[in-house]
Amino acid sequence: MTPKQRRNSRCTGIILTIIVIAIMAWTFWRGYP
Amino acid sequence: MSSVTIDHVPPSVGHDHAHEKPYGWRRWLFATNHKDIGTMYLIFSFCMLLEGGVLALLIRTELFEPGIQFFQPELFNQFTSMHGLIMIFGAIMPAFVGFANWMIPLQIGASDMAFARMNNFSFWLLPVGATLMTVSFFVPGGAQAAGWTMYAPLSLQMGPGMDFAIFAVHILGASSIMGAINIIVTILNLRAPGMTLMKMPMFCWTWLVTAYLLLAVMPVLAASVTMLLTDRHFGTTFFNAAGGGDPVLYQHVFWFFGHPEVYIMILPAFGMISEVIPVFARKKLFGYSSMVYAVCAIAILSFLVWAHHMFATGMPVTAQLFFMYATMLISIPTGVKVFNWVATMWRGSMTFETPMLFAIGFIFVFTIGGFTGLVLALAPVDIQLTDTFYVVAHFHYVLVAGSLFAMFSAAYYWLPKWSGRMYDEKLGKWHFWMTMISFNVAFFPMHFLGLAGMPRRVADYPAQFTDFNQISTIGAFWFGLSQILFMYVVLKAFSGRGEKASANPWGAEQGLEWTVPSPAPFHTFTTPPEVN
Repeated sequence: MTPKQRRNSRCTGIILTIIVIAIMAWTFWRGYP
Repeated sequence: MSSVTIDHVPPSVGHDHAHEKPYGWRRWLFATNHKDIGTMYLIFSFCMLLEGGVLALLIRTELFEPGIQFFQPELFNQFTSMHGLIMIFGAIMPAFVGFANWMIPLQIGASDMAFARMNNFSFWLLPVGATLMTVSFFVPGGAQAAGWTMYAPLSLQMGPGMDFAIFAVHILGASSIMGAINIIVTILNLRAPGMTLMKMPMFCWTWLVTAYLLLAVMPVLAASVTMLLTDRHFGTTFFNAAGGGDPVLYQHVFWFFGHPEVYIMILPAFGMISEVIPVFARKKLFGYSSMVYAVCAIAILSFLVWAHHMFATGMPVTAQLFFMYATMLISIPTGVKVFNWVATMWRGSMTFETPMLFAIGFIFVFTIGGFTGLVLALAPVDIQLTDTFYVVAHFHYVLVAGSLFAMFSAAYYWLPKWSGRMYDEKLGKWHFWMTMISFNVAFFPMHFLGLAGMPRRVADYPAQFTDFNQISTIGAFWFGLSQILFMYVVLKAFSGRGEKASANPWGAEQGLEWTVPSPAPFHTFTTPPEVN
């Protein structure tokens, strides 16, 4: 893996993790009575 | 794959001495190699397949005759619920991730997965989740018995077995999310130079789309079971009408996860079949681009159909019509795929080795499952058939004949690459025919049972359903025993018996995985190949 690939991978991984957390939070928010 | 030729294939064994092959238990516990982790995923999922299979046989044993024979209804309901959970979260999903771990880096020319340590962690979460599910049978009140769907309000009233199941789903879900992130990042960032997205093998494409689906819906499942947990123990009332909550909300949230989940369990199977058929038909895959677009269309539509699982809860006619038509729309991209597989075989020089037999078998039986899905998509019909054995027949035709047959096909196809030996073809064919016939003996009669009104998840039934139930039970035991043959064939290949496999034993025209020796060396593509 080149340094550029490593950087891109880390970036993509962080973005995807943020999406996961956001979807989970949204589900809670929508579900709250 | 559209047109991939390899300009230069570097030596497959790397020269990076800092990453020598580890030995002993450390190799597995601290594994970061995608092939080792893939192997562990596959072994784990096969063990879970056996555990879920034993539960299935216990269910079928009880249903062999009307009346309560062996298990009280409470225990029977635990069997059905845990059979579903174990098969879905323990067997099918990890098995596909195992195939992805093994094959995606090899197919895109990457040296490993993008996040190797996270890969290790996401695997080792699985045995923890599986243990929680298994030991839940032995806690007071036994395992959860609210179905694999764990519907509220029933799930709010159960004993600690439900908490075990919720934590298990959390852990297995976290593992899936990590696996999905790893696969997306690997495919997007680590492809060999020249391998554009539209040159990727179909297996990689289907997994890329599946991984996005996983990312989108696993957090929804995690949130919904966490809401169950807080309702059970922390005084919230998400699903409790007495506190202003709504039990039907759980069904909406669950199926917003649950229907894409169905495609999570079938899209990688589509990819496998798209790999196998061109090789044994000696033709390029017909309509590669339309296959890619069809997979994307299926994934998008899968978010719009969840309430077809809930027609019986009652909803406005407009909503029924929307979900009915949206569901039927999915048959179009699915039909495109089936058409393309058949068109690939059309006038090809076909041979019928075991992977091809399972692939053709897949098309036959999966299509039956697809058609019964269309029947169930019709709201008025669904209201009659919901929670009957017709539904059980339908989803087993999709998940066993669909996912499992595709995995058998792919396992036989890639076994020479994994083990370095050709498997016993004669036994492989025996395995196929035994599996194919016994599967239909076990599950086809369930259509008749459902049409005649036999409810599912019930330990007892009126005597009029006896004959079909007995046929089904005989088929189930036959199916279970047939899988011992598969285990033997695989172990025989790995024990070094059988003809030595060449790098490209099937004479595949395309695919980077066939450019490395068999068995695939510990390190591959340490220098990326160039693809034209």
